[in-house]
Amino acid sequence: MTGGDQPVDGERDIDPAGHPAGDRVGRASAVRPFLVTAGRVAGGGSVTPLPLETQVVSTVGGVAGMDQLAFERRDIVALCRRPQSLAEVAARLHLHLNVVQVLAEDLASSGDLSVHLPRPQAAYDRSVLRRVIDGLRAIPDSRESTS
Amino acid sequence: MTLIDAEAQPRPPLPVKLVIAGGFGVGKTTAVGAISEIRPLTTEAAITMAAAGVDDLGRTRRKTTTTVAMDFGCITIDPTLKLYLFGTPGQERFAFMWDNLVEGALGGLVIVDTRRLDDCYAAVDYFEHKQIPFVVAVNAFHGRIEHDLTEVRWALDIADRVPLVAFDARERGSVRDTLLAVLELALTWTDDRGY
Repeated sequence: MTGGDQPVDGERDIDPAGHPAGDRVGRASAVRPFLVTAGRVAGGGSVTPLPLETQVVSTVGGVAGMDQLAFERRDIVALCRRPQSLAEVAARLHLHLNVVQVLAEDLASSGDLSVHLPRPQAAYDRSVLRRVIDGLRAIPDSRESTS
Repeated sequence: MTLIDAEAQPRPPLPVKLVIAGGFGVGKTTAVGAISEIRPLTTEAAITMAAAGVDDLGRTRRKTTTTVAMDFGCITIDPTLKLYLFGTPGQERFAFMWDNLVEGALGGLVIVDTRRLDDCYAAVDYFEHKQIPFVVAVNAFHGRIEHDLTEVRWALDIADRVPLVAFDARERGSVRDTLLAVLELALTWTDDRGY
């Protein structure tokens, strides 16, 4: 990438959500989600986005102050009274995963959400692998045979 | 790892994941649905070239945005451990999003339809490159496969150490055993690595 490819300061050929101005009509569904995050995208900076399986739970304070939160933030705190993954939150609220990654970090910073990251070395942890293997082996061939 | 102490809130389980890859219509969602304790959910992720480290988002006119749909399900192993199954589009052009998806995965499963072998090359290459233990599983549509496994292994040019199995994505027991093959492979990799 050469310097000539970089837009000059003040050049407005890109809308706030990062889409080329001439491309707005066909991309409405992709633009809207990122208005929620003021155009921020998970991983847009140097920080790695939260993994999809990261578990999130609303804090007591978050639930108590839920009505003060706007729209999607409130929906996330309401949903996460039961712990679940970021992927589940995105699917159940019909939000882009990237949006949920950003909002979850915001809500963690404001103390409304507790974020539990996966353990990075779990894939190399023999006891974790053995527990998953044992758990799967216990699954019966069909749902009907579950007693 | 807890960033904020959630006083009096239930402590979530440790999440672990397997990634299920393969071409369109190969049976990824069917396999997830056969074993997941929840009906498979779909989430969409907007993928940009910026995610591949090409450039900062919104700073280049050459950036492209693609929305990728991922189907997933989960299995509660016990109250402290939960397995997620993420099905991912296998096409090569989405490969650059997989780093975030695959990072930390226990292993991978590549589902193959023998009538469309080409669709799985990108996934096989990706797991090999990332050194993630994976199994290639031929989905036996209607209970049979079109080619024998030796032919499939030859055609896909996969290493001998990569397990190749036939399974039925609709059958819970068959999906279970295929996932077990992935995990047992992962376990032998930890032996080899001396963990």
